[in-house]
Amino acid sequence: MEEEYGILESTTRDFNSKYIENNSLKIENEKIDAQLVKALSDQGFFSMVYQPDGKKSTDTGAYSIVLETLARSSPAVAVKTLLTNSFLSIVENREILNAVSSGNKSGTVTFSDVIAKGGKDSKLIMENNRIRGKKEFVLGSDSDFIVTTVDSGELVLLKAGFKMGKNYKRLGFRSLAFSSIEVDSSDFEIIQRNGIDALRKEYDAIAIPVAAIAIGMSEGASEKAIDYSKVRTAFGHYLKDFQPLTFEMSSLVAQMAILKSYMIQTISSNPDIRNSLFLKLKSLRLAKDMAKTSLQIHGGYGYLEDFGIEKFYRDSMALSVLFSNEEDDMERLSTLVFGSKAGFV
Amino acid sequence: MEFELDDDAKQAIIRAREFVDRYFTEELAEQADAKEEFPSEMVRISKQEKIIDFSNPWKVLVTIEELCRKDPGLGISATISAFGAEIFMLFGNDFQKEKYMNPVMNGKATMGLGVTEAGGGSDVANIKTEAKRDGDNYVLNGGKMFISNGQIADYFLVLARTSPPPSPEKKHRGLSVFVVESKSAGFGINKLHGKLGVRATNTAELIFDNVKVPKENLVGEEGKGFYYIMTFFNISRIYVAAQGLGISQGALDRLIKYSKEMGKVNVDGELVEELQTAIAEMATRIEAARNLTYKAASFLFKFNPNPVITSMAKYYAAETAVYATQKAMELTSLAGITSDLERFYRDAKILEIWEGSSEIEKLIITRMMLKDQRGN
Repeated sequence: MEEEYGILESTTRDFNSKYIENNSLKIENEKIDAQLVKALSDQGFFSMVYQPDGKKSTDTGAYSIVLETLARSSPAVAVKTLLTNSFLSIVENREILNAVSSGNKSGTVTFSDVIAKGGKDSKLIMENNRIRGKKEFVLGSDSDFIVTTVDSGELVLLKAGFKMGKNYKRLGFRSLAFSSIEVDSSDFEIIQRNGIDALRKEYDAIAIPVAAIAIGMSEGASEKAIDYSKVRTAFGHYLKDFQPLTFEMSSLVAQMAILKSYMIQTISSNPDIRNSLFLKLKSLRLAKDMAKTSLQIHGGYGYLEDFGIEKFYRDSMALSVLFSNEEDDMERLSTLVFGSKAGFV
Repeated sequence: MEFELDDDAKQAIIRAREFVDRYFTEELAEQADAKEEFPSEMVRISKQEKIIDFSNPWKVLVTIEELCRKDPGLGISATISAFGAEIFMLFGNDFQKEKYMNPVMNGKATMGLGVTEAGGGSDVANIKTEAKRDGDNYVLNGGKMFISNGQIADYFLVLARTSPPPSPEKKHRGLSVFVVESKSAGFGINKLHGKLGVRATNTAELIFDNVKVPKENLVGEEGKGFYYIMTFFNISRIYVAAQGLGISQGALDRLIKYSKEMGKVNVDGELVEELQTAIAEMATRIEAARNLTYKAASFLFKFNPNPVITSMAKYYAAETAVYATQKAMELTSLAGITSDLERFYRDAKILEIWEGSSEIEKLIITRMMLKDQRGN
């Protein structure tokens, strides 16, 4: 299995070299363009959970390796791939599935419904075969299709009749649209009656893929910092020769290697929610720590986008906020660790 | 030992709060951040209203703190128009004070300090910019990097090498400070774009291509520039620590507001322990950083600077700013990421880098302490 993952990682690295690395600043600052979307689709990265023959896969192994490797070069592209695959894993409409997996159309999922109960100003009312209202915190809000929940609890697929609302400040993943949406739609499908449970199931399913992105970001940031510290000098020595920087970086790389190994072990078996939460929590923490240290090693240059390190500082925080409710995750993990409900007064 | 600010400083805090309420609008902060645009009009008003009152350094310190608490980018923009002026105050002659320092102090001019170079960073003594004597002038060649006010300053204090170091170990010798006017022939500026944070501030690369500087613009004595700059850093680091206090306090303000309005509560209706603990930890760190900063300031403002305490204050306040913004972002989740808090998070990181990285501050602390222990 590890050999298979190695091949996949190598293929994805080639993809990064060909489509991402020479355009990374453009990808950061502009929308991910149609050519890159097509390339992602052609490479099969939008068919990790759904095959054109209609079959769906629950194997997160290959999927996680792809996301990890994409995130090394572009966390935003990895997140776009994650959102697309999550959409494909939930939706059943074959025509839409084929359009999205082929890259001709786009789809997203409002995980904010799980993370922040949709936001305090969200209100989507379904009555008389129409959905009206507003939904906050939609990442990928310029998509053609959106999977979201309505106030009465159903999980729905919005096919038309919505538009982007207020644009949010964008800490991370700047090439993905992030706004509220305003909805007045009669063109939708009800996917499930118990929408939050269905969405939470998908939220749990992406725990390992999100961890994989976090590990990939750590790898990307550390690679840059290690390379930089071998060529940059201060006080007549290479940065790599100074203990505070190298000991800290080496310690983080050790954590990264352990987490990567744990991820491979987890995806090679049948991961349960406990393993997934361990991995997700620790990987998200590592991504933030690694980005901070890697930026520090770059000094003032790390603060400039040209060096490709500041995006990891922004994106690592964005990943942990947009795809994780740490408090909820910790409560669930505590209950699993203590064997009974724990972390509640 | 006195832990109370005097009435003047308290009054300065009130004035600063009134100023930010009027002029630090979210619209301005967002625009300056999004477009990397220096808030010229707000800064003009801040000078006109003398928001920074140089007659009392405590007032300067608490004003920086309050302004950064509302918005770091705008706060720093409004408080660094006279960046480096203390060098004139301490080492400049009457002519230089009259011509260059006073207009800055009166809000009629803007200045900057050119020390850091592309290949240098923390290694100040290793700068490559040269100043060669040519009759009644010095001729400067080289460049400076990451210079605040780079594009908007009327003049800069520039550190340059005027003679070769006597030995590789004594590179700090042979450096001198000059006033360089930005309208000088051969003086070039490249604005730096794409900063992670403090995007309202103006940052540029300076280029000196045979820039002629009259010999009257040599500040202090030739060859003592490194000492002047290090003396200045002992001052400026305290003000950077004040920026850190402001950013940290701003993050805590926002976390408390979030907790009151949206924080999760337990069955007894109290804020969950996770939030309570985080607020307590953050507030404690900020108070510790504030006490260190004020202690360093009290030494400095009595003309008895203590570099160990200064470096401790700068390093700890910067670290606290990064810690507080990160923690507040994590706890406020989607509400935080879509609010001005995300700007605080981006802005805070620079404090661990500029005016001496945290690593350099730690080395200063230890080396000075070891020196003291040896009885030197």
